[in-house]
Parts: sequence; structure tokens; C-alpha cells
Amino acid sequence: MCHLITHFLEVESFFFCCSPGSFHRFSFPMASPLHDSPNAAVNGTSAVEAKSRLPKRSRLHADSSPPLFTPSDILSEFSHHDPTVARINNGSFGSCPSSVVSAQHDFQLQWLQQPDDFYFNQLQPKILQSRTIIKDLINADHVDEVSIVDNATTAAAIVLQQMAWGFAEGKFNHGDAAVMLHYAYGAVKKSVEAYVTRAGGCVFEVPLPFPANSVDEIVHEFRQALQRGKQNGRRVRLAVIDHVTSMPTVVIPVKELVTICREEGVDQVFVDAAHGIGCVDVDMKQIGADFYTSNLHKWYFCPPSVAFLYCKRSINNSDLHHPVVSHEYGNGLAIESAWIGTRDYSAQLVVPKALEFINRFEDGIDGIKKRNHESVVEMGKMLVEAWGTHLGCPPEMCSSMVMVGLPAYLGISSDRDALNLRTCLREKFGVEVPIYYRSPKDGEDGVVTGYARISYQVYNKVEDYYKFRDAINQLVHNAFTCASLPNS
Amino acid sequence: MQHEDPRNGESAHRSSKKPKLSSKFITESDTRDEFSHHQPRVARINNGSFGSCPGSVLTAQRHWQLQFLCQPDAFYFNTLRDGITASRKIIKDLINADHVDEVSLVDNATTAAAIVLQRIGLSFAEGKFQKNDTVLMLHCAFQAVKKSIQAYVTRAGGSVIEVRLPFPVNSEEEIISEFKKSIEEGKSNGRKIRLAIIDHITSMPSVVIPVKELVRICRAEGIEQVFVDAAHAIGSVKVDVKEVGADFYVSNLHKWFFCPPSVAFLYCKNSTSSSDLHHPVVSHEYGNGLPIESSWIGTRDYSSQLVVPSVLDFVNRFEGGIDGIMKRNHDEVVKMGKMLAESWGTNLGTPPEMSAAMIMVGLPSRLCLNSEEDAVTLRSHLRDHYGVEVPIFHQVSKDGEEEVRDKDGFITGYVRISHQVYNKLEDYEKLRDAINQLVEDGKTCKMLYTE
Repeated sequence: MCHLITHFLEVESFFFCCSPGSFHRFSFPMASPLHDSPNAAVNGTSAVEAKSRLPKRSRLHADSSPPLFTPSDILSEFSHHDPTVARINNGSFGSCPSSVVSAQHDFQLQWLQQPDDFYFNQLQPKILQSRTIIKDLINADHVDEVSIVDNATTAAAIVLQQMAWGFAEGKFNHGDAAVMLHYAYGAVKKSVEAYVTRAGGCVFEVPLPFPANSVDEIVHEFRQALQRGKQNGRRVRLAVIDHVTSMPTVVIPVKELVTICREEGVDQVFVDAAHGIGCVDVDMKQIGADFYTSNLHKWYFCPPSVAFLYCKRSINNSDLHHPVVSHEYGNGLAIESAWIGTRDYSAQLVVPKALEFINRFEDGIDGIKKRNHESVVEMGKMLVEAWGTHLGCPPEMCSSMVMVGLPAYLGISSDRDALNLRTCLREKFGVEVPIYYRSPKDGEDGVVTGYARISYQVYNKVEDYYKFRDAINQLVHNAFTCASLPNS
Repeated sequence: MQHEDPRNGESAHRSSKKPKLSSKFITESDTRDEFSHHQPRVARINNGSFGSCPGSVLTAQRHWQLQFLCQPDAFYFNTLRDGITASRKIIKDLINADHVDEVSLVDNATTAAAIVLQRIGLSFAEGKFQKNDTVLMLHCAFQAVKKSIQAYVTRAGGSVIEVRLPFPVNSEEEIISEFKKSIEEGKSNGRKIRLAIIDHITSMPSVVIPVKELVRICRAEGIEQVFVDAAHAIGSVKVDVKEVGADFYVSNLHKWFFCPPSVAFLYCKNSTSSSDLHHPVVSHEYGNGLPIESSWIGTRDYSSQLVVPSVLDFVNRFEGGIDGIMKRNHDEVVKMGKMLAESWGTNLGTPPEMSAAMIMVGLPSRLCLNSEEDAVTLRSHLRDHYGVEVPIFHQVSKDGEEEVRDKDGFITGYVRISHQVYNKLEDYEKLRDAINQLVEDGKTCKMLYTE
């Protein structure tokens, strides 16, 4: 017999559990909350001080706040991360502390114990609870405006499918435009192709300079793209704007771009903020978009996968549907999304637990964001100084991620090179970091063509970035170039 | 743990082609252990709705989930795709498909319906189909599928024909005859029937449909494409997609094939007609074929798609593997159904040969189950007061149809009982006694509202 270990503290014995042929009792030990740890008494006073400084919104229970996490608590919460890896890529797949994973397991167990009862009596109220918390976090007016979906990719499909119907049903004219950033996420670009181009729309991309120098550049390019979109009497039916682009990563001045869209008569604005919540400030009323989506499993400590899609109530939303149609069809997007057939909805139910986790950091999510940003800038500067390169944008245009130029010597000259270098760093040096290939423009010579996107999250430490620094220095020292990598 | 079992010599001789990995069959006590996470005080006779998953498969699932959390990038680049391909290959063999390219993994049958119907909707929108061309479906098709047809077909200008099937049903001929009538109606006024959606096993009321025969009729009548919604099929009836002959065939693995929520396969006959199928959640694999598109639809937990090999290990611990499980489930549910019908003085909704691992059993007329609301109320009452979980069906009386009676009146309600490997006689006795108690106490459904 073998029992599951809470918190995944003993990875080896867990793997032992899974040998074929032996019989296992599947058991869910009750989660023991970390705030019962021996450090609780030590943190008592600082918790009291912290409480008075926190904005009221981020406190679930203002009176009985658990103590702040110590560094050793944090190590424990992320002890399931591979200890041999310098994990400086929170941006791609996010991270989830073990206390939230435990809470998720509890919900999974409840379902498995008696699914009918869970379905009829628990699931919907709990999803509503998560939605309500999100509504407060993002300053939405009404919980009806908040739907929970799997990820930003799904949210994009929802918004874009609505566009496709607009063309199919003659609400839009053939050739009407959609505008998106050149650096829009690959999946979103494909979704635009599948739902807009296929339905007869025209797509315009906003070219953005990289490295980025100022917000003004972005605003200028955006205005120009809108003008192109409006030519020949076309209407711009949708603008898709990233809040924080993925590769290369830059924080986009969304509020200003949304204002420009309103001035220029763009029908609807969809902000793809996959990296938004927990990374930048997310205030729906301030940003003013019609649709806004963000993944909670990237920077908000939820397990894979859960995202919210905000839809401003003032616009006609009766036409927004989840593409996986189930019996709730027609009852509003939030209700439709809360049941799309039998699935594991547990990731959607632990938002309260994630909030609890976050509030055990000084200043809650605001404190985390601030410290992540400052640390990633500091680490970025340390790396570019060590390598003699530069950052991909000024500090005020990055969030908890920043692009760091790689030595030109490495000879990154294609996307394939970037991927191969990434694999080499993972397999030979134990460093996980995505690499971006920036092709040189006409006239540019000997420039930096590769950038690493480093992330900083609460579990990172300076040694992670030293490991990366040293790995690159080692490669350069060994006269390594990407040309020498096998082309897999 | 493992020891030589003298039955092994025999079992190797008797067993089907499936490989035996362990040297003994699972015992009753092992089976109880595997499902020890089920709430003990509940007579769980509704495997049909949400399925079930044994402890060893859940452990395997945890293993995959942990791997992702431990180093998600390495998992994404090195592990995920191969794991999904391994699952798809196993399914391809199980269902007798020709090629693994014909097998995609999706969340559930509801998602598969959206995939097929979205393409139909596009065909109307793009003018490939004429307005009022038809989609044919069964009247008792699953509600989610009906809504999907509304969302993608009706909205795009298509018309819908519903085949009204008799219930209770006595023979396959009754179904075939109604089906043929509806095809005539669908083709009237020069319309083309673009798609027929046929359940392999209907949900409520549950009946095993003669799909092979109906698909043959569809081909004979020039129906363009056939989609078999077999949500309940795999692990409950034999699934041979070549024999059935449909263009699309979907079944949930988390219902009767012991996978955790949720995973289903969508089979698409490898021909040009399926090349334009897309997963509605479009990601960077768009255009690389449905199986590849479906294997990455953004960051999510794909672990339930990865445990199919572990499930195969589990079912092969039973005598006769999945075939043995199916046969025993069928025999037991029929036996239990007859026991209940006899005790209540009622009927079975289908003959045994038109049932799989579920069967409809008539409820005593004295309960006066006269509406959908009554059915829901009775179900909740059984759950809350008797610890019995079973779905209830309200049979609407149809004009001109002979209604079934018991000694006190018309039978208007049925329970749908399931039998899976974890069920025992006491579960059904608990239901039997609960209903008898209610009747003895003179309770009707309306009286239960206030309790």
C-alpha cells in the first residue's frame, strides 16, 4: 500500500507509488494549512502592521489575518518544483503553490466521492464565489460581466466567433477590418485567421519596434494601423490589443489605445491580457475595453487552468457564446461557461484559496507585483552588464518579465536556433528560459539577434539568474555558436 | 503481492487477444479498495451520468499532474505529445479504426458535437448547403447536443428533423421504422439531409439503438454524413467503428471506461470530408489536423488524456478484460432491473437485448410522477432521505399511444439504473425498499416538495 503525500515534499516516494502491477489505495490526506507552521508566532506583529497598510479590496477576512510567509514557507510551498532547474520562465506556464494544489485535490475528491451531489449542490455556487472574487479584484461593475473559462485562448475563440457570426449574418460588410498587434500571441493570430479572415474580414497588423524605446512609438504605430484599417470606407469592427505581449514581452499602454479606438470609431476592443492579473494593474473601468481576458494560472497562483473573460455589460452581449454548447446555451456566457459538459472544474474553484495565499505576502498582490518587477529589472540589468548587451525595453515598459539581449557571438539567426539554444540551456545547464529571435533589419550589422525573456516570481532567487549568466558566459567562452547545434 | 495463480493457464487459454499484465485477477476486496473513495453511504446506481475512476488510475493521473507542476516546459516539449499519442493508439486498437490519424482526444462528447456541428454551420454560412437543408436527430438526443444544433445549424439557416422513438420500446424494428419515416420527411420539398446524428445508446430514456442498421439506411438514402453520439458506448457495448460505418463517432472514456474526468475520443473516418474539421478553441496548431489541434488548446491539465494506458492495465485485471466487464455489467443490470420491476409490479423500459449496462425500470404509478419537476424532486428526495443516487425519467404520454399500466394506473416515471464493477446487490435493494416505503406511506411526488 502507498499513500499520497501532501505538499509533494517527497517526490521520490510519490514516483514509487506509480509502479505498475502493485495495488494502490488512492487516498487524499487532509491538507494541513501552512499557516499552522511554527513560524506563525514570529510573524504575528508584522501581520498586524501589514493589515493596516493593505487596500481593503485584497483582504478576504480583515479581522483574522494569517501571518505573513517566511522565506522558508515559500520554499515549502514550491518544493514540488524541480530543484535542479533555474526556473526563470513563470510567464509560459505559471506556477501554483502546494496549499492551492491541496485545495484543488480536495475539490477533486469531493467530485469523485459523489459527483451527482456535487453537480447539483456545490459546483455552481462555488464557481459563482470565484467569479465574485474576480469581479472585485478587477473592478468590474457586476458579476454577470465575469465568465470563467479555461484560458485566454478560449476567451479569444469566444470573442472571435462572435465576429464570424457578424460577417455570416450580414451585420458586418465583407472586407470590414480587425486590427491586432504584430506581436499578438500565435494562438490568437490563428484564431483571427479561423474566425475573421475565413468569414470575409480583413486583418491589419500593428508593427511595433523592438527593442522598444517609448510608449509614444506604440501609440503612433497603432494610430497608423487604424487609419489603414479604415481606408476605403471600411469599418474597424474589432481591435485586439495585448496588455503585456508575450514574445517579445512589452507592456502596452492599453488605456490610451482603448481611448484612441473610441475616438476612431472602432466597434469593439478586446484586450488579451493573458499575463495581466498578478503582473500588471487590472482595472476594467479604468482600461475601458469591451472584452478583457487574463489567465489566473500564470501570475495568480492558480493551477492549470483557469482564466476570466470580462465582458462589459453595456454592450450587447447576448450574442456571446461558449463554442462548446451545452444545455445552458442562451442563459448568458457566464452560465454557459460554468457547464460545458462533464469535466474537471476544480481549478476554477480554488480562486478563494489563491487569494488567501496571496494575502500572506506583504501588501498582497500589489506587493508581489512591485517586488517581482523590481527584481526582474535588477536581474535583467545584472545580466546585460555581465554580457555587454541591453534590455529589450526601458524598465517602465516591463512587468515581471523582461527581454535580455544575448551576446551576438552566439549567432542566433533563426527561430530554430532560438529553440535549439533553449533546449541546450535546459538539458546541459538546467536553465529554463524562452529565447526570442529578432531578425536584423536592413542596414543592421553585428546586432543582438537573440533575447531571453526572464521572469521573476516569488519562488525565484538570485542564484537562478547567476546560473543563467554563467551558462551563457560558459557557452561564449567555449566559442559555441548556434550553427554548431544539431538541427533536430 | 503477486503470486502464481493456477487459473492463469486456463485464463490465457480462454481470454481474448488482450494482453494480461498481472498474474492474477482482481479480487472483490481489491475492487472495493479501488473505489473506496466513493461515498460509502450512497447506493451509487448512476454510473451513466458521471462515470467512475478507480484509485490506481487516479494515482497515475496525479503522477502526470505532478510532472507538469514540477517542470512544465520540459513536460510540454518532451512528454505531453508522446503521452497523448500513446493514448490515441490504444483507443484506435480498441475501436478498430484504421489509422491513429482518425482518432482525436477531446474533453467530452459535448465538445465533439460542437466540432462537427460548427463545420455544418459554416457550410450553411458559406453557401455550401442550401437554406433549409436538413439535419436529422433523435427526439431524445442529449439536451446539450440539441442546443448545439440550435446554436450552429438552426442559427445558420438549417432545418432540423426529430425522430420520435417509441418508449417503452419492444424491438429494433420499431426504431428502424420511425427512423425511415423521418428520413422521408427530411427529404420532402427537395431538401437534402446533410447530417444524421444518431445516439448509440440514448441517455434518457436509455435504449441501445441499432446504429449499424441505421447508418446503412442513411447511406442507402443518400444522407451525406452520419455522426454517432456514443457518449455511453465504450466500456458498455462493443465499439467497432468500421462495422458501424459512420463518418464521425464519439464516446466518453470517463463514463464506462474508468478514466478520470474528462476525456473522450472523436473518430473521423479518414477521408476528405473530415479534413475541414477544427477544434473551436483555435491555437497555434490550427490547420495541422484535428488530432493535433485537439492535443493543444492552450495551457490546461491534460492528465486525464494521458492515463489511458493505466486504464487498460486496470481493465485487464478483470476476467475477460473489458469484454468480461461489459458482459457482467449487462447481466447484472438486467437481473437487478427485473428484481425491481417484480417488486414494484412494474415493467422494464426495454428488452434486455436493447440494454447495455443501464436499464429503465418503471416506477409505481401511485407515486403520481406527472412532470419533469416531479422527477427532479423524487430524485433529490431519494438522495437526501434514502442515500440512493439514481436519475429519474418522466414519460410524457403521447396521443394515440398505448400506455403501460401497473395495477393502480399508468406508469409515467422510470428510474435509469446502472451497473458498474463497484456495485453490489445491496445498492439495488436500497432503491427497491425506498420506493416501496414511499408507496406504503402513501406518498406522491407532489407531497415530497414540502419535505
